[in-house]
Amino acid sequence: MSIALRNLLKDKTRFALSVSGVALAVMLILLLSGFLSGMNTQITAYLNHAPGSVVVAQAGVRNLLGATSLLPAGTDGDVQARGAAKVVPIFSQFIILDLHEKKQPVYLVGYDPKLGGGPWQLAAGREPRRDNEVVFDRVLAERHGIAIGDIIEILDRDFTVVGLSEGTTSWMTSFIFIRKTAAESLLRAPGATSFLLVTPSDRLTAETLRDRLGRLSGTEVLLKHELMANDLKLFARYFSAPLQLMTGIAFLVGALVVGLVIYTATVERQREYGVLKAIGARNRTLYQVVTIQALIASSVGSVLGVGLTFAAAKLIMELRPQFLITMEPAMVVRAILAGLAMALLAALFPARIVAGLAPAEVFRR
Amino acid sequence: MLRLAFRNLFQSKVRLMVSIGGVALALMLILSLDAIFAGSQNQVTAYIDHSGADIFVAQPGVRNMHMTASALPMSVASEVKVVPGVESATPILYLTNMIVVGDERNLAYVIGLPPRPVAGGPWRIVEGKPLPSVGEAVIDRGVAVKSGVGLGGEVEILGEVFTVVGLSEGTTTLLNSVAFISKQDFARLRGEARTVSFVLVTVRPGESPETVAARIETNVNDVTALTRADFAEQERKVVRDMGNDIIAIMNLVGFLIGLAVMALTVYTATLARRAEYGVLKAIGARNGHLYGVVMAQAFISIALGFGLGFAFTELLSLAVPYLNLSLALAISGDSLLKVALVSLVIAGASAILPIRQIAGLDPARVFRGR
Repeated sequence: MSIALRNLLKDKTRFALSVSGVALAVMLILLLSGFLSGMNTQITAYLNHAPGSVVVAQAGVRNLLGATSLLPAGTDGDVQARGAAKVVPIFSQFIILDLHEKKQPVYLVGYDPKLGGGPWQLAAGREPRRDNEVVFDRVLAERHGIAIGDIIEILDRDFTVVGLSEGTTSWMTSFIFIRKTAAESLLRAPGATSFLLVTPSDRLTAETLRDRLGRLSGTEVLLKHELMANDLKLFARYFSAPLQLMTGIAFLVGALVVGLVIYTATVERQREYGVLKAIGARNRTLYQVVTIQALIASSVGSVLGVGLTFAAAKLIMELRPQFLITMEPAMVVRAILAGLAMALLAALFPARIVAGLAPAEVFRR
Repeated sequence: MLRLAFRNLFQSKVRLMVSIGGVALALMLILSLDAIFAGSQNQVTAYIDHSGADIFVAQPGVRNMHMTASALPMSVASEVKVVPGVESATPILYLTNMIVVGDERNLAYVIGLPPRPVAGGPWRIVEGKPLPSVGEAVIDRGVAVKSGVGLGGEVEILGEVFTVVGLSEGTTTLLNSVAFISKQDFARLRGEARTVSFVLVTVRPGESPETVAARIETNVNDVTALTRADFAEQERKVVRDMGNDIIAIMNLVGFLIGLAVMALTVYTATLARRAEYGVLKAIGARNGHLYGVVMAQAFISIALGFGLGFAFTELLSLAVPYLNLSLALAISGDSLLKVALVSLVIAGASAILPIRQIAGLDPARVFRGR
C-alpha cells in the first residue's frame, strides 16, 4: 500500500490531472443519469398532481404525452353512471409556440377551473376565467420575459397571461393551461374531450372501477400510474440509445486516463519493480501495487466527480431552470462503481508490464 | 523542432495510443451528439420532404407538423384549388397515434389520405399497394418487421383494426414512423367529417411556390401557407431549439474531458523527457525552441485524435442503422469546424503546464542527476 501511494503521489501534478480526468468522466455519467431521472419527474408531473386515480382515453391510446386522444361524445356521462365520484374532462394537445424567434413545444391543457385538472400550484396570478386567458409555466415565462398581463399568440388567437404555474416545466415541453371551451375553439373541435380523470366513489377501488369502465366502447381505461409508466417507457425509448452511447464513451475515457497514469508510473518505476522481483516479491504482490494505485486514483476521482456533479447540477439548474437534474443514492453508487471498474480495466496494461519483467534485467542496465 | 516532437511523441507507443484514443473519444462525444441532433433534424422532415407537395396549407399560426395539430374547414381545399397557380390541392387528416400489434406499440404520424391523392402518400413502397382503401393501412416496413406483421396482417390504429396492404420505406424516425389510412376511416374514427388537417398543394409548371403560397394567404381566409422548404425548416428549427442547451452542456463536458486527457498526456510525455530537455538547454537551446517542441507534440496528438474521433463517429453513423436504434447520425461541416476549433484550444491549453515545467528547468541540474 505504501509503495503504491508513494509511487502515485511522486508527481502531484500528474496525480491531479488523472484524478480530474476520472472526476470529469464520473461527472458526465452522473449528470446524464441525473438528467434522465429529472426528466422522468418532469414527464409525470402533470399526472402526478392531476385529480383521480383512473384515466379514460380514446381506444388504443395508452399515453398522455405522445398520442392524441379524442373520446366519443357522452363518455363522461357513462363513466359517471358506472360508479365514479368525480369525472374531470380535459382537452389536451401538444402545440408549438413561436416565442422570440424560438420554437417552443408546449402541452396545452384545456380544463374546467370548477372541476380541476389545471395547474396545481400558482406562483403568481390566478386561474383563467375567460376563454382568452392563459396560465403560463413560470420558468418558460421567465425565459421569454413574459409577465402577467402580457398578450401571447397561441396558434391564431391572442391570450392574456393571468397566472404563472409552478412545477410545470421541462426542457422538452412545458405545460400551459386554458379553459376547456377555449381549447375546443382554438383546436376547432367543439365539445371535444381527450381524457377523463376519474375518482372512484368510496365503495369502489380504482381497479374495480377500471374493470367496470373497461366495457365502454371506443375507450381505453387505465389506472393513472399505468399511464405514467407508459409515458416513461415511451420517452425512455427515445433517449436510452444516445444516453448509453455517451455513458459508454465517458467510461472509456475515464479508464484510459487512469490507465495512462498508472502505466506511466509503472514504466518509470520498472527498475524498482525488477529489484522487488529479484529479491523475491511475487507477481501477485506487484499486481496488487499496480491495482491499488489505480484504485486510489479512481476512488479519489470518483468522489471528486460526485462532488463536482452536485455543483454542476446546481449551476445548470440555476442558469437553465428548465432542466431538472435529480440525484438518487443508487445513481451515485453506480457512478462510483463505474469509477472502480475503470480502475480495474486501467490496471490491466501496467500489470502485463510487471508480469513480463525479467528480474535479471535490472542488473544489466 | 517537428522531428524532435515526433520522436518524443512516438517514443512510447502505448502512451501515444492512450493519448490519441482519449482525445478521440472526448471529441467523439461532441461530434456524435451534434450528429444525433443533425440526424434527427433530417429525419423529422422525411414526410414533408417526400410528400410531393410544393406548399403546405395549415390552420392560421400552425407552422409545424411535429408535436402539433391543425384543423381547417373542409371548404378550404376547394378555395385553395381555384387560387391562380395552384395545380392540385390534396386535403389530408393527420395526428400522432399508436400502431398497436399485441403488446408492441409504435408511435406514428397517422395520415388520412383521400382517394387518388396527388401528394401526401407514401413515396417508396417495398411490398403491396401504395394507397389504402377503407379498412386498410400502409405502414413502415421496419415497424411491420418489429411487430411481426406482414401483408394481410392486422394492426390497430386509432382503436380500430386495419389490414396491412402496403409496406413503405424511409418512413421511420427516432421518434415515430408514418402510417397511412383512408381519409374516410380517419374522419369516422375521429368524428372529423367537416375538417381537414392540412391541404397539400402542387403548383403549375413555371409557377414559384413562394408566390403561390403568398397568393393563397391573400385569397383564402384564415390559413397559413408555407412552401415545402419553409415548412421543413420550421420542423428542423423545433429540434434545433430543443437541443441547443443540451448540446452546449455536453460540448462543455466533452471539451473539459478532452482537455484533461491532453494535458495529462503532453505533461507526462514532457516529464519523461525532462533530463533530455535539460541537456538541450545546457547546450544552448532557447526556451522558445523547447516550447515549440511541446506545442508541436500537443498539436500532432490532437490532429491524430481529431482524425480518429471523426473516423469513430463516421463508423458509428454507418453502424447505427444496423443496430435497430432508429437513430440517424449526420456529421455536418459546421460541427466538424466547431470540433476542430475546440481541438486547437485544447492543444494550446494542454501545453501550458509542460511549458511552465520547461521554463523552470535548471540546465545544470541534469549534470547533477535528477
